[in-house]
Amino acid sequence: MIWHITKREIYGNLNSLRFALTTVLLLALMVTNGVRHLREHPKRVQRYRDAVTESLNRLTSHTDKSLYKLAQYGPGNFYKKPSPLHFCANGGELLLPDTVKVEDPPVFATDSEENILLEGVWNLSYPDANLQNKSVGPDVSQVDWAFIIGSILSLIALLFTFDAFSGERERGTLRLMLANSVPRHTVLIGKFLGALLSISIPFALAVLVNLLLISTSNAVHLNTEAWGRLGIIFCLALLYTSLFLALGLLVSTRMQRSAVSLMILLLTWVTFVVFMPSTLASIASSFSRETSFDEFWRQRNPIREDLWDKYEEWIWSDELDDKTLRGKSKFYTETAERSERWREERLKYRSSQVYRARVITGISPATLLQHLIEAFAGTGFERHLQFVENAQRYARQLREFIVDTDRGDPDSLHIMNVREGMSQKPISPEAIPRFEDTLSLSKDFNTAAMELLLLVLFVVVLLSAAYLAFIRVEV
Amino acid sequence: MLKALIDRELLNNLMTFRFAAVLLITLLLVVANTAVLIQDYEQRLESYNDAVKMHQQDLRNSKTYSTAYLFVDRAPNPLSIFNVGLDKRLGNLTGIYHGFVPTLWDAQMHGTDNPFLAFFSSIDIVFVFEVVLSLMGLIFAYDAIAGERERGTLRLVLAQPVGRGQMLLAKYISAMACLLVPLVLSLLLALLLLTRSIPLSTGDFLRIAGIVLTSFAYLSAFYLIGLLISATTRRTGTALMLAMFVWGFLILVYPNLIRATVNPGGNIQARTKSAKNQMQQIVDAYERERKKFLENESTVETASRFSEAVGLHTDAHVDPETLSPYLENMSLISEIPPDFEQYVPLAKKYYAFVEPLVTDTVDRLWIIQKQALDDIFVRQATIDKALLKLSPVGIYDAATQAWAGTDLLGLRDFFDAARRYRRIIIDYLYAKEAFSSREWFVADKGAVDWSTLPEFTFERRDVATNAKRALPDLFLLLICNLALFMVIVLIFIRSEV
Repeated sequence: MIWHITKREIYGNLNSLRFALTTVLLLALMVTNGVRHLREHPKRVQRYRDAVTESLNRLTSHTDKSLYKLAQYGPGNFYKKPSPLHFCANGGELLLPDTVKVEDPPVFATDSEENILLEGVWNLSYPDANLQNKSVGPDVSQVDWAFIIGSILSLIALLFTFDAFSGERERGTLRLMLANSVPRHTVLIGKFLGALLSISIPFALAVLVNLLLISTSNAVHLNTEAWGRLGIIFCLALLYTSLFLALGLLVSTRMQRSAVSLMILLLTWVTFVVFMPSTLASIASSFSRETSFDEFWRQRNPIREDLWDKYEEWIWSDELDDKTLRGKSKFYTETAERSERWREERLKYRSSQVYRARVITGISPATLLQHLIEAFAGTGFERHLQFVENAQRYARQLREFIVDTDRGDPDSLHIMNVREGMSQKPISPEAIPRFEDTLSLSKDFNTAAMELLLLVLFVVVLLSAAYLAFIRVEV
Repeated sequence: MLKALIDRELLNNLMTFRFAAVLLITLLLVVANTAVLIQDYEQRLESYNDAVKMHQQDLRNSKTYSTAYLFVDRAPNPLSIFNVGLDKRLGNLTGIYHGFVPTLWDAQMHGTDNPFLAFFSSIDIVFVFEVVLSLMGLIFAYDAIAGERERGTLRLVLAQPVGRGQMLLAKYISAMACLLVPLVLSLLLALLLLTRSIPLSTGDFLRIAGIVLTSFAYLSAFYLIGLLISATTRRTGTALMLAMFVWGFLILVYPNLIRATVNPGGNIQARTKSAKNQMQQIVDAYERERKKFLENESTVETASRFSEAVGLHTDAHVDPETLSPYLENMSLISEIPPDFEQYVPLAKKYYAFVEPLVTDTVDRLWIIQKQALDDIFVRQATIDKALLKLSPVGIYDAATQAWAGTDLLGLRDFFDAARRYRRIIIDYLYAKEAFSSREWFVADKGAVDWSTLPEFTFERRDVATNAKRALPDLFLLLICNLALFMVIVLIFIRSEV
């Protein structure tokens, strides 16, 4: 029986104007999205490759000299691997930095002929968001899947359901249908499935065209995992659409007239999808004040001065005995560690602010969807933090590797980060561990789990509300 | 007769659920967003004040002319609450130095905000109107004609001695009168909130009036679009569907499609490179002249001793991205040891020669830079903006930005002022004969007295300028309105009832 009603709904929709308009709109958007991705993505990949090659060259140029040089200068900068699923969600690509920088060793002191007397070791620094946006053009977001699904598909879902019951009531067919021996929940489920399938048809068509465009070109390579992720994103889209379908059904059952039902739905949609994300983010960000730049400097300077005092007796000594070298080694290492820690704390503080804003904006299902798609497409803020974490892990790994390799050299004094205390032999670049910016699906699931559950919860609540409302409503 | 018709329509519109809903939601959204925006503005103002204080302190701490640390800050525009435009997005802090021309593109942010929070798009009152007013317009219009046709009342009305144009006019006037209520009420509430915390000048009120007028024209454009749909369709259901899709396309899809389809020209990189090469040549010529001076005036050995004596730090480069030349001759010393005292006359001569040269070189470079910057950064943006104007949203946004002074021209006013200020500073340095003074490079015989330095002031342009910038777009919007109305009248007159 459910299937019967579903079929009736689908046939009713297939001939309607909204179905045709939806198909055209979605197709146009998806084709634009695909074409744009094909045009942009190769450039991104090329930029990434060039940057990685340069960074590798830097690494090899140091390893060719000596282990000490490697310990001093470290690897080249780290670069974020562009996601092949960038077309699903661009995740504020313009704003987020795509690199973790490896700072050159700081020069603490030089003599009058510019000879370096004291020189520290490399450390990591995390560039800020690229606020130096030089574009003066109109401020528009890009057409990615997150936008198509989040804004357009949700609106379409409302347009498909606003008259589901109120329309039938107006025409008088609702009475007719319920006069048959059909349980009400069957009608509801049938209507829901009918609308869902009617929307899925043009959406699936548009997605297929989009993927066909992208996968047939040589420019973009999608592997099995990427296809899996795409599948998940498609399911998310359906889940999200169900949410709005349920909302539409709920309002439609309660309203006598379909025009009124549409009004309520549109105003709800505008509030939750268009305004909530930005307004809530502004509110959330005004909760906590950002420490100002000079405040941070004030916090930073004592860190260094403190160390100067602590290791004073060894820093300026020219002796090459064990104690002095160890003192210098500690000074260098600690300076690097401290400034790294300072930068990390700064990043953490800022991310915590962003997180807070993200959690609060999660009330809006559109933001939830945006975050979920970003998580599975491997873009956005979470991904950025993941990348930073990868770089940090690699940095630790490299430091351990240097200590281990140094231990293998009998001529070395095994005092890290001091020229006289370390192995002077060159090392083969192949032996060095490579930086890999990996993403794992299971990890992405973990980070997305909360938001996924929240979205499911929304759908379930709205569906049951629609059910209850329909059961009790008078025809 | 017209009055009777208007009365009928007005009652029909005012007593509906949609009117109440629209009124409620507009008030809610505008008030909530205004509260947030005011807080945001106050935060930005505070960070601006902090920055100004810090930069004044830094200037006072500068002991010599050559190491002077002179920065000017751009205050946030209070009307950015209405349309934020570029106000928040582009740099608001730039250095003033004779070896460098301040431009919009190498300005920095003094903001102490968390830059990652820029991730969340910001919202302004015009955006609320953009979305809600257009929706309102369409919702009020979709059944204006199609609905009467369905109910059969259209026949009834037209059986009376009423002109069809008259009837349309009555519909238009009454609907607009209804739609004005939420617009004006919400704006009044917003202003109430605004004036409590932010002092606004008479000019600002006039600008806000301009924004209201533009909003009204925008609202009317969407009402007419809805009316057009209503006049061409037989059934309200179809009209509603069409209206919704048109709305989705004009508001959501079209503005975002522009970015996706318009390809920023590949020749931009070539343009940047050629301009940079051109500028580099001038910079090289400057370097040659500078070195020639040193060679003429001294032997190689004294030249190097001299640079050591005054701690000379020179830099001459052109930024590969923003094409900003930066020519610098700084003395990083706090005192001159007695045995270096003999180089002081040479140092004075050097600076007296090289600093005017720097100023002239930078001025000459500016001519190339200005042209190149326009080609690289502005042209594409202008094309995008022009394309965006195919949708009423684009026109509305551009016009309100112009009223608020947060458009590109408004922002450039500030940088023009900064460049004028640089001129003033250079004149001041000449007047003080600073280039050839000892305080230029060392402060051991007394630091520079900054108290007579002219202060930087920046006033937003007057309302007339804003109006001049906004009126073309406003007229465009009005022409759209007129054209739409005429099309509707033509269609309606020829259509069968």
